Amino acid sequence: MSGSRLGVQPGELIDRDRVVRFEWNGTEHHGFAGDTIASALAAGGVEVFSRSFKYRRPRGILTADYHDPNLFVQVGDEPNVRAGHRLLISGMDVTAQGAWPSLGFDARGANRLVGRFLAPGFYYKTFISPARLRPAYQKILRRFGAGGKIDPATPPAHAAKRFAHPDVLVAGGGPAGMAAALAASHRGARVMLVEENHHLGGHLLYGGPESAAALAELRALIGADDAIEVLTNAVVTGRYDHNWVGVVVRHGGEERLVKARAKCLVVAAGKIERPYVFAGNDLPGVMLSSAVRRLINLYAVAPGTRAVVATANESGDAALADLERAGVEVAAVADLRKSGSLLVRAKGRGRLTAVELSGGRTIEADLLVTAVGWTTPTSLLNMAGDRPVYDATAARFLPGEFPDDVLAAGGVVGDGSIESVVDQGRVAGFEAGRRALETGAAWQRLTPRAAPAPEVDTEPTVIPRLPAMPHPELFTGPTDGFVDFSEDVKGRDLALAAAEGYDSIELAKRYTTVTMGSIQGKLAGVNAVAVHAAATGATIATTGTTTWRPPYAPITLGALAGVDEDPVRYSPMHDWHDAHGAVPIGAGQWIRPDHYGDPAREVRNTRANVGIIDVSPLGKIDLRGRDVPRLLEFVYTNRWDSLAIGGVRYGVMCAEDGVILDDGVTARLEESRFYMTTTSSGAGRVWNWLDEWLQTAFPTWDVKTTAVTDGYAAMNIAGPRSRELLQRVASGVDASPESFPYMNARIATVAGVAECIVLRIGFTGELSYEVHVPAGYGLHVWEELLAAGSDLGIAPFGLEAQRIMRLEKGHFIVGQDTDGLTKAHTAGLAGLIKIDKPDFSGKPELVWEGEQGPPRRLVAIQPVDGSVVPAEASQIIAGGLTRGRVTSSRTSPTLERSICLAIVDTEYAAAGAELTIRLPDGRDVAATVLEHHAHVDVDGGRVRG
Amino acid sequence: MASYPTRYSALALLRKGVTRSDWPRAWRHHDLRSSYDVVIVGGGLHGLATAYYLARNHHITNVAVLDKAYIGGGGSGRNTAIVRSNYLTPEGSAFYDRSVRLYEGLTEDLNFNIMFEQRGHMTLAHNDASLRTMRWRAEVNKLGGIDSEVIDPAGVKELAPAIDVSDRPRYPILGALWHPPGGIVRHDAVVWGYARGADVAGAHIHQGTEVTGIDVASGRVTGVQTSRGAVAAPVVINCTAGWSTLIADMAGVKLPITTRPLQAAVTEPVQPFLDPVIVSGTLHVYVSQTARGELVFGASVDPFSSYSSRGSLGFTEGLAGHVLELMPGLSKMRLLRQWAGLCDMTPDFGPIIGPTPVAGFYVDVGWGTYGFKAGPVAGEQVAAMVANGTVPRLIASFGLERFEQGRLTAEKGAAAVGH
Amino acid sequence: MLVIVCPHCGPRNSNEFTFLGERSTRPAVAATTPAAWRHYLYFKNNAAGEAGERWFHVSGCRRFLDVERDTLTNEIRSVRDVGEAAG
Repeated sequence: MSGSRLGVQPGELIDRDRVVRFEWNGTEHHGFAGDTIASALAAGGVEVFSRSFKYRRPRGILTADYHDPNLFVQVGDEPNVRAGHRLLISGMDVTAQGAWPSLGFDARGANRLVGRFLAPGFYYKTFISPARLRPAYQKILRRFGAGGKIDPATPPAHAAKRFAHPDVLVAGGGPAGMAAALAASHRGARVMLVEENHHLGGHLLYGGPESAAALAELRALIGADDAIEVLTNAVVTGRYDHNWVGVVVRHGGEERLVKARAKCLVVAAGKIERPYVFAGNDLPGVMLSSAVRRLINLYAVAPGTRAVVATANESGDAALADLERAGVEVAAVADLRKSGSLLVRAKGRGRLTAVELSGGRTIEADLLVTAVGWTTPTSLLNMAGDRPVYDATAARFLPGEFPDDVLAAGGVVGDGSIESVVDQGRVAGFEAGRRALETGAAWQRLTPRAAPAPEVDTEPTVIPRLPAMPHPELFTGPTDGFVDFSEDVKGRDLALAAAEGYDSIELAKRYTTVTMGSIQGKLAGVNAVAVHAAATGATIATTGTTTWRPPYAPITLGALAGVDEDPVRYSPMHDWHDAHGAVPIGAGQWIRPDHYGDPAREVRNTRANVGIIDVSPLGKIDLRGRDVPRLLEFVYTNRWDSLAIGGVRYGVMCAEDGVILDDGVTARLEESRFYMTTTSSGAGRVWNWLDEWLQTAFPTWDVKTTAVTDGYAAMNIAGPRSRELLQRVASGVDASPESFPYMNARIATVAGVAECIVLRIGFTGELSYEVHVPAGYGLHVWEELLAAGSDLGIAPFGLEAQRIMRLEKGHFIVGQDTDGLTKAHTAGLAGLIKIDKPDFSGKPELVWEGEQGPPRRLVAIQPVDGSVVPAEASQIIAGGLTRGRVTSSRTSPTLERSICLAIVDTEYAAAGAELTIRLPDGRDVAATVLEHHAHVDVDGGRVRG
Repeated sequence: MASYPTRYSALALLRKGVTRSDWPRAWRHHDLRSSYDVVIVGGGLHGLATAYYLARNHHITNVAVLDKAYIGGGGSGRNTAIVRSNYLTPEGSAFYDRSVRLYEGLTEDLNFNIMFEQRGHMTLAHNDASLRTMRWRAEVNKLGGIDSEVIDPAGVKELAPAIDVSDRPRYPILGALWHPPGGIVRHDAVVWGYARGADVAGAHIHQGTEVTGIDVASGRVTGVQTSRGAVAAPVVINCTAGWSTLIADMAGVKLPITTRPLQAAVTEPVQPFLDPVIVSGTLHVYVSQTARGELVFGASVDPFSSYSSRGSLGFTEGLAGHVLELMPGLSKMRLLRQWAGLCDMTPDFGPIIGPTPVAGFYVDVGWGTYGFKAGPVAGEQVAAMVANGTVPRLIASFGLERFEQGRLTAEKGAAAVGH
Repeated sequence: MLVIVCPHCGPRNSNEFTFLGERSTRPAVAATTPAAWRHYLYFKNNAAGEAGERWFHVSGCRRFLDVERDTLTNEIRSVRDVGEAAG
C-alpha cells in the first residue's frame, strides 16, 4: 500500500492549512497540525513502524491510538513514544526503536528462522552449563532488550503536581462520560471529566452525522457548565484506597500528575477492540476496524488500496462503509457472524499481500480489517475490588461488584444506541452526584466542630441496565497467530506452557510473559485467557482474567516525582558562616558548618581561649505546667523531682525496650516552666514521645509541650575565657562561679536581647555557656559575641571541632556510639538509672539488664601507637572473630594522639585490657581500654571551674 | 535421587525444535494423600526449597507442599529478585553468604537456568553516618570472607555512569558499599526450578489447596485440615509470608509479626545502561535493570500494616522522586506497572526459623523484606533441622524464643543507626 | 492514601498521620515478668480484619487517635480521640 491523504472528511481533526515538517529515521516528512506521528507517516506511505521484540518481525498500524503495541518510537531523547497518540510537532526527530541497523534490514531478524526453537521459556532450558560462559550469554541477551534509548544526561523534566477535590470524577469522555458529568453537575456536584484522547467524544468522533450531532450538543452543554472541569489528553491512571485517583495530564512529552480525592468515581472507559488470533495477524496491513475508522475519519488517511473486511459486528460494518466512502476498493467481505465464514490466514512477506478465507479462497489485498469483538477495560474497577465476570453471550468480561463510591457507565457495562448510552450515563452521573454529596455530609457529621451537615437526599436512583448485545465468541481462527504483539507470544506458546505445567493463567502469564509488555494486556488479555482455557480444557469463565495492576497507562518518572523536594534547614546564622569560609556538612535536614578551615586549630583555640559554635539545630521543647516534673521523672531514667529553679540536669530517655532513644539537658526556668533540649535528629521524635505519654497514659496531668527548635537560635561559647566574654555581653546575670555554677540556667539579657536562656553546661570539656536567643536576634547576638570577644581570642568552631572535643571528653553521640540495641547500662549510664523510681519508660528492661550485666559495653580506648587513627567501624577482633567495633575515632589535638570510643563485648571491656583492632587495610593494631570515657578533663575540673 | 525425564539443555531444545515434540510437565498433579511424613504450608520459594532439600539431602520424599493458590504467587513472585550477602552482623552475613553460594550453583544444580546475573550490588552513602555504617558492614563482611568494600564517588561513577555524583546539599553521594557477588535473579525461575526438582524427587505439590486448620493433640502436631480434606502428618512447617501469623494461630502459636505491604514497580524497557543493583538506604529505594531492559524498583514497607496487596500512588511518587535524585536523566522513563506483596515484619528485622512450643510444628517465617535472597539457604537449613531434629548452627540465632528472652538479633542495631 | 476523618480536623489524607500499630495494654511495672513485658513489646494480634489501632495526627491537631480499621480492605470504621475513647 501507499497510504495517501484523502479529501476533506467531515469530522477530521487535521488543519490542512498548517503543514508540519519532521524527520523519520533521518528523512524529512510532513503532515498537518492535528496529525499524530503515525497518521502523518501513514499518509506519507510508511507501513513499517517497528520490529517486534522476540522475532524482530516488521510491524505496522494495528489500533492507531495510544495503546497500539506496534507504534512505539523514539522522539529525540524520549523513548517509547506512542506514535498513534502523540501529536506531530514541527521539527520532531522521530526514529524507529530497536531496529538495528535499519527497519528494512534487521540483523536480529535471524531470530525468525529459529523461531521454533525459541519456545516459551527457552532461556530457562539453556545456557545451563558451562557456568563460566553464562555472563557472556547474559550480555548478549541484554542486547536483545526492547525499548528505546535513554540518555542519562537528559535534563530532568519535572512538573509541579496538583491536588484536586472533585465531588465526582468521570473517567472517560465518550457519550456516557459526558452525560454523567452533566447530570452530576446538575445534581450539585463539582465534576472533573477526564478524557484520554485529544478531544471529548469517544467513538462519536468517527461515527457519522448522527454521532456528530449528538457530540456537538453534549460538548456545548459541557462547555457552558462551570462546575465541570474537562481534562483532555489526560488519563486516570489508578483508583487507590478511598477513591484516591491519579490523573496524568499530558502536553506533548511533558506530563503533570493530578491527585484527586473523588467522593465518587464514574468509570466510563468504553470498550477496547480486540484483535483476532490467526496466522499472519501481525503483518503490516492487518488492522482493527477502529484503526481504520480513526485513520479515515479523524486523519483523512486511506489505510490501504484494496481491502478485505472480516467483520462480526457493527464496528466492522461501519469500517466497511468508511472504506467504501473513502474510495478504497473492497475486494471481499467475510461476515464472521455467518456460520462457515472464516478468516483463515493473512499472507505476505514483510507486509500483507493476500488473505485466505474459508474454502481456500485467497484474495489479494493490502489491507485486512478485523472486527471480532471487544475487551472491557475494567482496570479501574478491578483496582476498586471488582472481579469481572465472563458473559459468553456478549463474548466479553463485564464488571461484577464494586464499592458504593464507584459507578460504571456506558460501554464498560453494555451496548446500545447513542440515546440509550447517554441515558444510562445521565442516571449514573446523577446518582454519583448524590452519593458524593452524601459522603461530604457524612464527613462533616463525623467532625463535631464542623458546620452542621446539609441534608442530602438519601433515596438512591436506580440506574437503568445497559444490556450487553450478543456477539459471537471469536478469539482464535483456524490457524495460530500472535496473542501478544508486544511480547511476540503466540497461541501455541500458551498451549505449550500449559502442557508443561504452567496451567494456571497467572503461571502461564509469568512463563510466557503474555500481557507483561508495555500495553499490559489491554489487547492480549482476553485472547490469552481464551487460548489458555482451551489448552487446559477449562472455560473462559472459570479461568478468569489476569490482574489489572495500576497504572492504567504508563506515567513518566518526572510527573510522579514532581517538584517535591525534601526540606533543607539552615540556622539564622547560616549566611554568616557562608561568608566566613565555613565548609558545610549535612546533618539530617540541617546544613551546618563542618569547620572554618582547620578543625584542629579550632580545638586548640577553644581549649586555650574561647570558641563559639552555632548549635541552633539542637531540638528545643518548652514545657509548662504543674506536672512537668512528673513527666520528666517518667521519660528520663534519672531523678527530676528535686530539680531546683535555675537548675539543669542531663538525662537519657529509653524506649520501653530499654534502648536509648535520645539524650539532652533540661532546665527548670521557673516553678512550672522547663526548657528541654534534645539531639538535632531526635527533636520531633521526642516531642511526639512526650505528647503520646501525656495523652494516652497521663491525660489528667497539667503539662503543655511546645516545640521551639526554630524559635530559638543557639550558640555555645566554650573555653577558659568564656566566662569573661559572657560577663561582657550579658546583663541581669552574675556569671561568677559562685552564683552561676555548672549545670545551672539563667534568663538574661544578652547583647541587648531580653529573655535569652543561658545554660552553663559542657559538651566539650570546657567551661562553657549555651546561649539560646529568639531566632530573629540570632545573627545579632552571634556577631556581638564575636565582637566582644575579639581581644579574648574568640574564633568560631564547627561540628568537626565539637566532635573532637566531645570525644576527648568521652561523651557519646546517640546513633553513632549507640545503636538500635544499646540499652542504658551498655552505654555506661548505670549511675543515671534510678530503679528506685516506681515507674519510668523502659524500667523493667533496664532492671533486668542491670541484674544480668550488659553483654557489651561502651569504652574509651587508645591505640598503643598514637599516630594510628583506626577508621570508625574498624572491627575489634580476637580469635578471628569480631568482638566489637570502634564507634568514634579522631586525633586529639590536645593530647596529640589518637583517641576512640568503642563498643566491645563485656569480657574485653575491663580497664587496661589490650585489644586488637583490624584496620580497613587489613593491618592489626593494638589498643588499650581506659578506665573512664574521658580522655581529657577526666576529673571535670575544667568544665566545673 | 530420581533424574529428570528430560534434562534441559541447548541440545534438548534443538531436538525438540526439530521433532516438534512436547516437553514433559515440569511438575505433576497428584491426588492428595491422607497422610504425609512432612506437610509444608506455602508453595513459595521457601516451601519448595525445603521440599527439594528434604529429598536431595535427607531422602525424605513423602512430602506435601500445599498452596492455597498457585506456586510462587506470594512474595516469591513479587519481590525485586536481589541477591546479596553484605549484611551487618557476622551471623547474618554468614547465613546469606551460604545463600549466595547456593544461588551460584543453582542453575546447574536444578538443571534450570535461573538467570543469576552477578552484576554487583552498590549501596550509596549520602552522609557521614551512613558511610560509617557502610564501612561497618564492609569490615564485618571481610572478616567473614565476603567480597565487600567501601568505594569513593569516582568509583560509583565508573561502575554506574548514570548516577549523579555531583555535589548537592541534601543527598550528596559520599561513597558506597560495593559488593561484586550481588546481583539479580529471575525470581519465578527459582520457584519453578525448585518445584521441578522437588517433584521429580517425589514430593507432591498441591496447588489450590488451602490450609484451614492445624490439628494439635497433647502438644504435638498431628496434621492439617485443608480445603480438599484432612491430611495427617507428624511434621508441619509454616513456610508462608504475610499470612504466617494466621497459620501459626491455627496451631495456637503466637508470633511477634505484623504484616506490612511492600511495594515494587517496573518501568517500560529501554536499552541497557545500568549494570549493578543500586540501593540507597537513606532514600529508601533500590533499582536494577533486568535483562529485558526494564528498571525494577523497590522501596521500604508501607507506613501502616495491611493485608491489602494493592499498590499506592504515594509509593510511586516517592520512588520516582528518589530515583531521579540519584539518576536525574531518567525523568522521561515511564512507570509501567506497580504491585505489592505482604511482608512479615519482626521486631528486630530478623527471621524466625525453628521449632515452636508445639512439637513437630516448625516455622520458617518473619523474613521481612529479605525472604527471596534467603530462600535456598533457608530451605537447606530447615530441611536439615527437620531431618536431624536439631537446630543447625547457621540458624541458631533466629529462634522464636529470642523475643521472650530479650535477645534480639543485631541487624536491628544496623536498622536503627542513623542512615 | 486513605481518608481518615479526624474528629477535630475533618477528612484528611493518611500521610498527615503516623501509624503506631495495634493498641496494647502496658503491664503494671511492679509486677511484670520478662515474658509478659516482652509480649507487650513484641507480640500483636495481627488480625486479618478488624484491628484496634493507634494513629497520631502529627501534621494536624497532634492528637492521638483510636482507629478501628479493617486490615483486609483498609476500610475505617471509627476514629476517636484517645481522651474520648478512655472516657
